[in-house]
Amino acid sequence: MKVGIPKGLLYWKYGIFAEIFFTELGCEVIVSGDTNSEILNLGIENSVDEACVPIKVFHGHVASIKDQCDLVVIPRIMRLTDREFICPKFCGLPEMIKNSIPNMPDITEEEINAYHEKALYKSMIQIGKKVTKDRRKIQKAFEKAMEAYQTSSCGIHDEKYESKIALLGHPYNVQDPFLNMNVVNKLHHLGVGVMTEEFAPKKEVNEYANQLFKKFFWTFARHCYGAGAYFAENRKVDGIIYLSAFACGIDSVVIELLKDRVGDFPFLVLKMDEQTGQGGFDTRIEAFVDMIERRKECEGNFSSYGEHSYSS
Amino acid sequence: MKVTFPHMGNIHIAAKIFLDDLGVDYVVPPISNNKALEVGTMYSPEEMCLPFKIMIGNYIQAIEQGADTVIIVGSCGPCRFGEYCELQMNLLKKLGHEITFIVLDSPRDVGKKELLERAGLLVKESGKNNYSGILAMLKGVKAIELMDEIEKEAYWLAGYEINKGECKKLLHDCRQKVVSTKDSDQALKILKEYKKKINRVKMDSTKQPLKVSIIGEIYTVIEPFSNQYIQERLMDYGVSSNRMLTPSWWLKDLLGKVVKMNSISLRRASQEYLPLGIGGHARECIGEAVLAAKEGQDGAIQLFPVGCMPEIVSKSILPTISKDKDFPIMTLVLDEMTGQSGYITRIEAFLDLLERRRETSHVLFGN
Repeated sequence: MKVGIPKGLLYWKYGIFAEIFFTELGCEVIVSGDTNSEILNLGIENSVDEACVPIKVFHGHVASIKDQCDLVVIPRIMRLTDREFICPKFCGLPEMIKNSIPNMPDITEEEINAYHEKALYKSMIQIGKKVTKDRRKIQKAFEKAMEAYQTSSCGIHDEKYESKIALLGHPYNVQDPFLNMNVVNKLHHLGVGVMTEEFAPKKEVNEYANQLFKKFFWTFARHCYGAGAYFAENRKVDGIIYLSAFACGIDSVVIELLKDRVGDFPFLVLKMDEQTGQGGFDTRIEAFVDMIERRKECEGNFSSYGEHSYSS
Repeated sequence: MKVTFPHMGNIHIAAKIFLDDLGVDYVVPPISNNKALEVGTMYSPEEMCLPFKIMIGNYIQAIEQGADTVIIVGSCGPCRFGEYCELQMNLLKKLGHEITFIVLDSPRDVGKKELLERAGLLVKESGKNNYSGILAMLKGVKAIELMDEIEKEAYWLAGYEINKGECKKLLHDCRQKVVSTKDSDQALKILKEYKKKINRVKMDSTKQPLKVSIIGEIYTVIEPFSNQYIQERLMDYGVSSNRMLTPSWWLKDLLGKVVKMNSISLRRASQEYLPLGIGGHARECIGEAVLAAKEGQDGAIQLFPVGCMPEIVSKSILPTISKDKDFPIMTLVLDEMTGQSGYITRIEAFLDLLERRRETSHVLFGN
């Protein structure tokens, strides 16, 4: 059986798990290629207009491999942590794909609850049943996949640079180099290191996030907010760049709260959509890095932003 | 303490009765208007959804009249409505207003004790006991039920009325009159009276008006200002319209959820296309579209604010329903860039299409 795995959304975090799981089940796994403009265009053609660009890219990945496989993995990830969701679109992803892309092969529609290993196992049994009836085989594949996932690491942490910037946002925005126009390379080129939310200690992240009046009910919102507040307040980095897809509902909340939290700390929001131009992106990143360096060298960490830079 | 609350359709009628009876001082913000939207848009984060911006406008207009406490409900669904309270608190604080927020969240997430404590703030202020608090609340619920029924009848009967504009006039009179009194019994009496009146409107039952369902995101569906008064516009065109989402439906749904007996027909109808709740009212939207097609209505209009996450999912499903059931569905996306004529043109074109579909057996439609 040929199983297709689209290289979009949370593939960037859990792709290894899916690949090993289906390989162990004896399937031929087809992973779609790296995101490129062809895939983006396919996605734009085949998805609902109002969706955000990562969702459109995911549609593109699915459309690009659907004819080669018998089963396409469309994960309906309901929860990664108890009482927390990701985004409503993740819960309705199979429906979006089914109704937007014509002539789809079989897809995995089962709910995935990953807040506990037992719950995840239960979900994976359901999905594994699409391939084989042998429960033991599924269990073995699950264990192998779990092991591979736990030993894998994702995220970026550069040690050797003097200046460092925290790159925050949903993992699929931060890690897909096509979507974010290779912002990591651009920063490296400017001599700035990058750190992502995965490298903020979990305990602190939760601590900072819990200081809010209302507990977040989105997993990645909690991660980004907690990590951002931790990085800024402990001066772990020199600035924060937040990568956000245009019209992302979750980011519209997190960015606002994080801005309030970090105050004068250098904070840049880069919006991405299917029409982003490289030039504008470059200029903004360069200006931001310049600002950080000048702040270090000659302005004694004064903020270049806000009322107090003009009043004494 | 001077309490205020954001507008959402006729909720202010019920809230007023509740607060009158409780004896708490309150300000009803001016009915949502362009100024409110303008002010709200100015201060709100750019990418926030439309309901947030109108609510901020409501608060600020109420604060100008002396309000210092805001009551809103919360949610912990994956839709961003649940985060409104936090953002709005910060925003008003930044503007220099010291406002207390009473957030009525689901007891599962904040704990029963905390919820009762928050609700208790109100009762404490009034100096009355819990019993009269509950009594006042029941009266408010009764009022919103009556008002929803009147509204439903008016929107539906507008297609059949003989004297054009009668239903609309009755509805307007009713809304105006019921808020003019401070006596809750009097208000309920007025509502009952209008309910009788609306059923006595002269009708031509031989008429066959177009029937349209209004579906989509709950705030934009219920708050007429946010949807450019779509249902009243349909009344003017002599079209019968109906919508399932009302404040009293919301209450029933909330109570039903406890025993998982909420909106069974909607859930059953949506089974084929969206078998599980994904937050917001996406599932209800799908269910309503299927039901409307089944009931033999002529078409449906889906409304949602720009960037609404759950409704984007339902929008991607609706074309399939439309194709399967041969049932036209139009989507209107709303935001603060209010271009009235664009909306009107689209509504008129849609109605034209529905009419022509009746005359000739088949008119193509599509996305």
